Amino acid sequence: MSEQSEHLVKSFDNDLKKLTDLLLRMGGIVESQVSMAAEAILRHDAEAATRTVEEDLKVDALEREIEQFVIRMLALRQPMAADLRLVVAALKVTGDLERIGDYASNVAKRSVVLAQFPAGYAMGGLSHMTGLVREQLRSVMDALGHADAEKAIEVWRSDRAVDDIYNTIFRELITYMMEDPRNITPCTHLLFIAKNLERIGDHTTNIAETIHYAVKGEVLPDARPKGTSAAFAIVRPKE
Amino acid sequence: MSATLSVIPGPAKDMNASLALGRKRKRANRIVKTLCLTATGLGLIFLASILATLLSKGIAGLSLTVFTTSTLPPGSHGGLLNAIVGTLIQTVLGAAIGTPIGLMVGTYLAEYARDSALGNAVRFVSDILLSAPSILIGLFVYQIVVSPLGGFSGFAGCLALALIVIPIVVRTTEDMLRLIPSQLREAVIGLGAPKWKMIVLICYRAAREGIVTGILLAVARISGETAPLLFTSLGNLNWSLSLTKPMASLPVTIYQYAGSAFQDWVDLAWAGALLITAAVLAVNIVARTLLRGRK
Amino acid sequence: MSTTIEQSSTHGGVQTRPETAINTAKIDIENLDFFYGEHRALKSIELKLPNRQVTGMIGPSGCGKSTLLRVLNRMYDLYPGQRATGKAMMDGQNIVDPGVDLNSLRARIGMVFQKPTPFPMTIFENIAFGVKLHEKLSKSEMEERVEWSLNRGALWGEVKDRLHTSAMGLSGGQQQRLCIARTIAVRPEVILLDEPTSALDPISTLKIEELIDELKNDFTIAIVTHNMQQAARCADQVAFFYLGEMVEVAPAAQLFTAPKEKRTQDYVTGRFG
Repeated sequence: MSEQSEHLVKSFDNDLKKLTDLLLRMGGIVESQVSMAAEAILRHDAEAATRTVEEDLKVDALEREIEQFVIRMLALRQPMAADLRLVVAALKVTGDLERIGDYASNVAKRSVVLAQFPAGYAMGGLSHMTGLVREQLRSVMDALGHADAEKAIEVWRSDRAVDDIYNTIFRELITYMMEDPRNITPCTHLLFIAKNLERIGDHTTNIAETIHYAVKGEVLPDARPKGTSAAFAIVRPKE
Repeated sequence: MSATLSVIPGPAKDMNASLALGRKRKRANRIVKTLCLTATGLGLIFLASILATLLSKGIAGLSLTVFTTSTLPPGSHGGLLNAIVGTLIQTVLGAAIGTPIGLMVGTYLAEYARDSALGNAVRFVSDILLSAPSILIGLFVYQIVVSPLGGFSGFAGCLALALIVIPIVVRTTEDMLRLIPSQLREAVIGLGAPKWKMIVLICYRAAREGIVTGILLAVARISGETAPLLFTSLGNLNWSLSLTKPMASLPVTIYQYAGSAFQDWVDLAWAGALLITAAVLAVNIVARTLLRGRK
Repeated sequence: MSTTIEQSSTHGGVQTRPETAINTAKIDIENLDFFYGEHRALKSIELKLPNRQVTGMIGPSGCGKSTLLRVLNRMYDLYPGQRATGKAMMDGQNIVDPGVDLNSLRARIGMVFQKPTPFPMTIFENIAFGVKLHEKLSKSEMEERVEWSLNRGALWGEVKDRLHTSAMGLSGGQQQRLCIARTIAVRPEVILLDEPTSALDPISTLKIEELIDELKNDFTIAIVTHNMQQAARCADQVAFFYLGEMVEVAPAAQLFTAPKEKRTQDYVTGRFG
């Protein structure tokens, strides 16, 4: 990682740099996907929604590229210690990023459906939530770029806030649905959107944990500061 | 990569220049090769003529009586029996006395005194002895043994030959033991073996061929020595197996006969020379086969 | 191999080997220094070799790892001007104490070298040689011992029909296993392996590694290796040496995934300049 001295074999350094660059590029695309998905719901921006879904192809391609690259490095370089942790971390991070991308495009698709309904629901909460999730994702990619374990821990801690908002939105939407059954369809979509955002937060937290391990070599405790969202059914957005 | 390669300094890739250079090199090569071949050829011619003379004159003098009769006055069809037996006795005894001493000294130098001052001194002395003219050794034994005891003896001859054997065996033993990789020694020691067992059971075994070759070469050397015997065993025209009396030997007999005016003595001298040469050749062949055979 | 996987447990995300008898140190090295004349080649080494475990020793050339092995069976006594100070306790006895009986010490701590060193004799005699140094066995007992140790050395099947032919005729890998069998035959408690596979091809290397895995059930093993992957495969704990110091010792999995010391990290990741 960045503060390390150079390898005796220079091309190994180049490989590691390329790997980090690939991850940051993938992270950048996923970040923009999440931002566009947020635009799509909050501003009913259909074009942003379409682009979010389109970007997913790039993300999937990058994931495959990183996977291949990691396997190649494991086989040819046989990395050890910090290098090994970074390479394995890359494999895990790329998986998390890909899931985040999927959730973002699911959110974008639902925003298109949602646009057919009159607006006026709890967009305040969702707006706050997307803001938090985007901030987390940005921080975590920064942490990755600078090999900053402290920053990764901050992100890891802040997931609690996302969980809390999710629970609030959940209760709010239930209330809407109970008030008027006509709200059920849009509110269900909104629920799923909130759920997807919450999952994005979870994956961001995973990435933070992975980065911390890659940098420090220590595993974070199992008990992550978490809301009660685990009690609810998990939505698999790609089905 | 190609960009960096072109920066590497070196002769320009000029086809004609490199062809000319090639021709020059070939010419130099041919000259050196011709010189070497000429020198080798000259050497071979001398060797072959020596051998041819030896064979033609030696075989002429060779007959059964050479092996059955002792030396006799000129004209009475004598042989070389006493000289052959005398040489055998002195060579075997000389080797028997010199070999154990040489072996132990060599072992001491290789195993116990590798870099010690005493070891270096011993090695130095042994090397001087190795290159000392053999007549000096004869003189030495004459002073030490022959003079005090008041007469030439076969035993004194054996001692002189033993003195020649010692440095040769010391040198080969030390060299052969030193060739044994230290890891092998450490492996033996690592099993918990005391040092003497390591030397006797493993090192000697590992260096066996080399040491035996050294001994055989020493035997070949002393079987043809004349100078040290002149002052010690002197030579004896009569049949004698006693170690306390002068003893005949082939080289000394050749020395005495070859210059004589009698044709049958000269013939016998040639026959004796052929015998020694054949014996030395045989020992050398055995030594070389031993060295090569087991590797 | 499969047994290792079954027995292994996961702790803190790091795989560890079963922790049997890990607490007792067979050899406990404390404040050990070693000198080649004036040069201090080992500096205050502190290291425990746990009973019936494999301790790997890694580090760049000249870091002292081989020197430490040579201290442990007093090989340095062969050479004038080399001496060790400090403690290396085995069963209450200080190995580097000048009063120790070297031959019986070396019978308890066997050593296998970088290059195979078969003795110039038959395979049978190679094994019997070491045994005869320490025990008086009848012919049948000796035959039994030779078969036992060749079996433990994973060589019996390959040589049982030619026990009385020269050991020099074996392949490099077989010779090295013969050397291990020869060491085992003396029934030592500790086996020191000094780069035992550096002269061998990959298949022979794997056979020796499998053998090491097998042997650690009965022996305490220390292996010096330049091949980090080998240390990772064979060793329970790994010690990293640098410039005569023992920089870090840790379970193999930890040392190779998350070493604590910067110098260890630099070495295992290939960053040493």
